[in-house]
Amino acid sequence: MVLIKEQIKKIDKSIVEEVVEDELLERFKSCYQCGTCTGGCPSGRRAAIRTRDVIRQALVGLDDDLLSSDLLWLCSTCYTCYERCPRDVPTTDIIIKLRNIASHRGLMKGPHLAVSKMLIETGHGVPINDEKWSNLRKSLKLTPLPPTVHSFPEAVKEVQTIIKELKFDELIAYGEEVKKKLAEEEKKRAPERIEELEAELKQLKEEAGK
Amino acid sequence: MVNSDEEPRIGVYICDCGVNIAGVLDNDELREYAATLPNVVKSERYKFMCSEIGQKLIQEDIENGEINRVVVAACSPRMHENTFRKATREAGLNEFLFEQANIREHDSWVHMRQQDDAQSIAQDIVRMAVAKASKLEPLEVMKVEVKPSALVIGAGIAGINVAKDLGDQGFDVTLVEKTPTIGGHMAQLDKTFPTMDCSACIITPEMVEVGNHPNINILNYAEVTKVDGFVGNFKVEITKKPHYVDQEACTGCGGCSDVCPVITGNEFDEGMKERKAIYLPFPQAVPNKFTIDMDHCIKCELCKDECEPDAINFDDKPKKIEKEFGTIIVTTGYKAFDPSDYTPYGFGRFPNVITGLQMERELSSFGPTVGKPVRPSDGKAPHSIAFFQCVGSRSFQPGMNNYCSRVCCMYAMKQARQYKEKHPEAEIYILYMDIRAFGKGYEEFYEIAAREYGINFIRGRAAEVFENPENNNIIIRAEDTLLKRPIELEVDMVVLSVGLEAQEDATVISRLLNVSQTADGFFMEAHPKLRPIDTLSDGIFVAGVAQGPKDIPDTVAQAKGAASGAASLMAQGEVEIEPYFSVINNALCSSCLSCVDLCPYTAISYDKLANLVTINKALCKGCGTCTAACPCNAITQNHFKVSQIMAMIDTAIPTR
Repeated sequence: MVLIKEQIKKIDKSIVEEVVEDELLERFKSCYQCGTCTGGCPSGRRAAIRTRDVIRQALVGLDDDLLSSDLLWLCSTCYTCYERCPRDVPTTDIIIKLRNIASHRGLMKGPHLAVSKMLIETGHGVPINDEKWSNLRKSLKLTPLPPTVHSFPEAVKEVQTIIKELKFDELIAYGEEVKKKLAEEEKKRAPERIEELEAELKQLKEEAGK
Repeated sequence: MVNSDEEPRIGVYICDCGVNIAGVLDNDELREYAATLPNVVKSERYKFMCSEIGQKLIQEDIENGEINRVVVAACSPRMHENTFRKATREAGLNEFLFEQANIREHDSWVHMRQQDDAQSIAQDIVRMAVAKASKLEPLEVMKVEVKPSALVIGAGIAGINVAKDLGDQGFDVTLVEKTPTIGGHMAQLDKTFPTMDCSACIITPEMVEVGNHPNINILNYAEVTKVDGFVGNFKVEITKKPHYVDQEACTGCGGCSDVCPVITGNEFDEGMKERKAIYLPFPQAVPNKFTIDMDHCIKCELCKDECEPDAINFDDKPKKIEKEFGTIIVTTGYKAFDPSDYTPYGFGRFPNVITGLQMERELSSFGPTVGKPVRPSDGKAPHSIAFFQCVGSRSFQPGMNNYCSRVCCMYAMKQARQYKEKHPEAEIYILYMDIRAFGKGYEEFYEIAAREYGINFIRGRAAEVFENPENNNIIIRAEDTLLKRPIELEVDMVVLSVGLEAQEDATVISRLLNVSQTADGFFMEAHPKLRPIDTLSDGIFVAGVAQGPKDIPDTVAQAKGAASGAASLMAQGEVEIEPYFSVINNALCSSCLSCVDLCPYTAISYDKLANLVTINKALCKGCGTCTAACPCNAITQNHFKVSQIMAMIDTAIPTR
């Protein structure tokens, strides 16, 4: 439970300030929570993305909850909400900004880290690293490998140089580090958690017995 | 009276304005600083200079003969110039020997986070005011006659009330209305919130009363085309559009309309019912006379054969009427927002999406469905209706309005309740973001709508709608923001609670009358709190939605206020005009006539025979255009003389 009073005090130092560094994004403070974004979200029909909720959490500075949640990563950046927002809030840009902030805090999701690592190693987010993909291409009368870095292995070096220049590799390494640290903390807490769960189970059993 | 030749002895009075000024500036320092300025003999500070005690401070110093010039460093002259001028005059000093230094709006309010800089700016402002005060000259206030006649533009509920109030007081009122009937939007409404009294029952008797009033002259189907003159003496040209029906001869029998073969949409019914090319907007129209809509008439002349009093005249021409008025009251009302361009709501594409005003006509006992609303696609009574709030309002999207239209929440709830009364089994949804029920009895109305009528309030704006191709139902997508869940809702009909906008020709009126508009297109009042029905043009008032969105009670209250403002001007018979007019020195004038062309108020005229340029003091608004343009320096403007302005500039840049 977040004490709203303390929360409000914290807002100044929270991601709100980081988000609004950009003048365009300043407009997100005028959001009146109408839900047009969520209501018309094509992704939200299928997935759990709740755009308004993301904006709200960012507005009231619920940094930790928001940046580590899955919500941020479910947006397909189709810009429907951006176009319809009656308050001119650049919703999609804010989500992208929040993803950047999360990444810099090492809170990138596992699958994204995996894809990024693939990109660094092979120059492809989804490389043709299995025979079945080449076979599939062959069955479609395509060359086994596409005319990308797969056909020109020397180009991988160039891709890696660009990635190094942009310090993308450092970002991914940091993400891995944070992920590991969080997993260890989780592990440390495991015995406590087991105790908690056991106590809960015991209580449930007692209640069921009654 | 103090002689202007006397050496200036200036008193400077610094106002704290509570914390508004003293919270930012060090007023003791400022008082000491002012005392060091040339010609300053007295420097005081007080908490509220505008209070009685504050004014007394100034008056005592004048009466003791200590000072003969007054500088008050306080708020904007727009706020209190008149207050201090009056105090100066009452103490026996010419009121134009007073100068106000604005250290609030121009300093403490805008620089509250830079206190040091604000202090030095305050010194500059005071120093400049003192420099001007040293050069001030006494002036005499001018008086002009105010004719006891009023022009009311727009005959909705606001215009009708203004006309009635002024007519009852014996003033000669001309009520101009651009459509063929008076009554405005209120005549279109069925019932009015929150008391649910019948709109027609309230307004029709008023329409008839105005129509028969001996002091009120209605000019329907007419527009104001030219305005000259000034407060008390406006010269106005009104163009009456051709009715093509002799309005004296027409008996209103309707025989013409019966035979007319042309059918088009009736504007009064928001296009939901047809009318003929020769028509009466609605049965209770005032005046109850027919008009031919020449945009649709095919000139078959069947009506001409049918008309017993032989009133039809296809050669009718526009008529120009010229008249002088003492005051003008603008009550031009609004136009409803047109949602056609907002594609996500499908208005115009899906028959079962209608606007609030169309619903109002459907609910009306003399509307297209005689008070039994149906869905346009199949003429059946809808089982479920969803109202979308804030359509065209509170939105930054292009073509939409930023402001709240103030009536939509209430009219949606009113229509919802009315439909529930007729169909208790109906399902009604109102998709809202905030319910704004701020008027007397409105919150109670809202609560009863939810509790007794079982209307479903969903907090969330409709994102988009689709049509179910099988039954023309409307499928709505939105978020229930309180449940944090996207929802999909299928309803029989959707009503768009469209907002209110400034009239399309508000800009024309604004230019004709020289009355400013705010960014949203509505007419600007002189002061939002203290002069809400005055405009910055003397003698011109504004009331009702023309000034900004408002409901009927507020509109009528403003109309009564505007009538009272206009009446007090006309009852006095004369009005004081600030003597800021320009003065021409004909000895210096080379008759180049630059000023004649440039004057925005046509106040300067040239007599060719005498080779003399003259400035009409009453028409001149003291804008200074001619003064700046005159190549011979022959024109000076009272109270803003070159010597006075230069004194300010010289002291503002002392190192020059």
